[in-house]
Amino acid sequence: MDEALAIAGARKRFGETWALDGAELCLEAGGFLALLGPNGAGKTTLIRAIAGRVRLDDGQITLLGADVNGDDGAAREARSVLGVVPQELSLYPALTARENLETFGSLNGLAKNQLRERVDWALAWTGLTSRAEERSDGFSGGMRRRLNIAASVLHRPKVLLLDEPTVGVDPQSRQRIWEMLAELRMEGTALLLTTHQLDEAQQLAERIVIIDHGKTAASGTLSELVQQTVGSQTLVSIETEDLSGAKERREIHVEDVAAELPALLADAAAEGRKVCDLAVRAPTLHSVFLHLTGKDLRE
Amino acid sequence: MIATILRTHWTNLKRDRTALLVTFLVPLGFFSIFAMIFGGMSAPMGKSGASSGMRSIRVLAADLDDSKTSRGLLEALDRQEGVEVERAPRAGADEAPLAPYDRDSAHAAVRAGRAPVALVIPVGFSDRFGDFVNRPEAIELLYDASNPMAPQAVAGMLQGAAMQAAPTRLMDQGFNWLSEAGGGLTDEQAKAIEEARTYVQADAQPSSGTDGVGGMTGLVEVKNTDVRETDEPRETARSFPMIAYNASGIAVMFLLFSMAGVGGVLLDDQDRGTLERLLISPLGMNRLLMGNWLFAFLLGMAQVVLMFLLAALAFGLELFTLNRLVGFGLVTTAMAAAGAAFGMVLATLCKTRAQLNGLSTLVILLMSAAGGSMVPRFLMPEFMETTALFTFNGWALDGYLKVFWYDTPGATLMEATTELMPQLAVLALMALAFLALARLLARRWETA
Repeated sequence: MDEALAIAGARKRFGETWALDGAELCLEAGGFLALLGPNGAGKTTLIRAIAGRVRLDDGQITLLGADVNGDDGAAREARSVLGVVPQELSLYPALTARENLETFGSLNGLAKNQLRERVDWALAWTGLTSRAEERSDGFSGGMRRRLNIAASVLHRPKVLLLDEPTVGVDPQSRQRIWEMLAELRMEGTALLLTTHQLDEAQQLAERIVIIDHGKTAASGTLSELVQQTVGSQTLVSIETEDLSGAKERREIHVEDVAAELPALLADAAAEGRKVCDLAVRAPTLHSVFLHLTGKDLRE
Repeated sequence: MIATILRTHWTNLKRDRTALLVTFLVPLGFFSIFAMIFGGMSAPMGKSGASSGMRSIRVLAADLDDSKTSRGLLEALDRQEGVEVERAPRAGADEAPLAPYDRDSAHAAVRAGRAPVALVIPVGFSDRFGDFVNRPEAIELLYDASNPMAPQAVAGMLQGAAMQAAPTRLMDQGFNWLSEAGGGLTDEQAKAIEEARTYVQADAQPSSGTDGVGGMTGLVEVKNTDVRETDEPRETARSFPMIAYNASGIAVMFLLFSMAGVGGVLLDDQDRGTLERLLISPLGMNRLLMGNWLFAFLLGMAQVVLMFLLAALAFGLELFTLNRLVGFGLVTTAMAAAGAAFGMVLATLCKTRAQLNGLSTLVILLMSAAGGSMVPRFLMPEFMETTALFTFNGWALDGYLKVFWYDTPGATLMEATTELMPQLAVLALMALAFLALARLLARRWETA
């Protein structure tokens, strides 16, 4: 499959700190990639570099085959196929939903006749048609989030960067946003999502890239990441208590739960311990993430 | 895309009623209050003369008599504190001395605003100086009514100078008249007069001489002539200067406040995150700044035009002549262009709105005070005149005063426009320099 976006050896230093130190990723045309990492890992710098807001000290960013590192005319032109949904709500509060969309559609180069059609589409897409003439500062958080996304896709980008697009929204709005993104994918838009919602990434993305300290720590599908890190073993957690009531929890990784679990339970019984609690967990993105980035608190 | 920026800013502004009020109504209200307060100052001559006490008044002298007495009178006047007498136009460093003023050249110089007052001493003045019966022909005081203080002060000081110039002659003439009218002096009276003569000769000292003698009484008779009276209806001429000054001063000051506010949309964009979106779009920083500047410029134009319309319709400012409309249009355009760019410099210097509010208030009030927006510059010390050259307000005000006050009657449109060239050129250069500086400062928002 063709690459929509590729980053290789991205390095960027701010003062003495290397925000990016060799990060790389690849997003296929029409694909859905989740970019994960702890706070300060370099995700936002990488997104800003793709958007032309940060110039790499070293490395390459190609968008549909064109080099887009920096902010010169050619890079700017090549980035016309890019849409960026900032994490911050980037809307004019005093403008109505329609006016906001018209403004950003026009700034992204839509001609007048296209603009009307795309704005109507975006209002329907976000479920805001009935509120089109209302000021955006009167909207709920979820409505503003949807409008924030719509303002970035009016020009039909081939690649859409989404920086935590569902922060602070209720489950209904989040579900609606996921549906909106699925519709975009059906139209062939490649999506790059940064998020701290690991369940969201696990559920939506085809591929996942985890970066830490400016480097790519792992990349692949969820099962590939599991294999690369924690392995495919299932975690069995057994809590037991002895005759005096003292409790003990044991965690064991097993290859085949059905085959090995009876023996584990039998061992406990043989030791005279009663099983109080039993949990069986397949490897998750959460465990992969913590395995790669550790449990220490970040900045 | 620039049109989109303009439309967006305008929509934002029109939905912010407070901002609209501050932009348009507050300056108009402020100006109206000033116009009403200072309306009384427009009468060219008041009840009493008073020196500004702060700077020398430049007095042009056309000494048509050119006698010992007239020269003595002018020398005595020149010795007075706060007066500087000039008998001929100042020549350049390498030029031959220029011919002394005559009435026409002095009149023209005052008309053009090069000095607030000129004195014309008539031929034959010395022949009857000090004669209280057949008084000499009056000294003509040509004055520019835009400075109501200067003629009153000079008229007063002229009386003091007359006393110093020829004290014994005045005494002799006065006592001769007394003697003739009163039927002769006694010996004791004659002796006392002789003692007084000695005293006067020894102790004649310069004095400020600013007590309100007025123009028509005293040792020398003074005839006041408003240099504009010949070509403008007196009512217009009288009600005019402070209105013109107030409209100009307040328009310039409020323009700067508005422009700083509008320049701050860049900081608003930064705060609400729209700046990031704008800079990611194909718009780019150059077009964004150009759009912001154009919006501020148009808003500034609208604000100033409204203020002068109010001044014309409600307070009698004469605006609707071809020369003045064109001059006003040119000065306003140049001023709004420079003001809009200055607002952008302030905004790009600051990191937050709060910083911008503080900095702009300080800078604008300082420039307005130094440039003459708050207090007429003729009331300020002389060095402030130089300081004003470094302020936006000073140049803009000079431009307006040239349009509304120092315009030459009967001048062609080309002549009137040419007169404005220095101010227009400086304001245009300021606009370019401010735009370049704002662009430089805006680099901090660009690609890191």
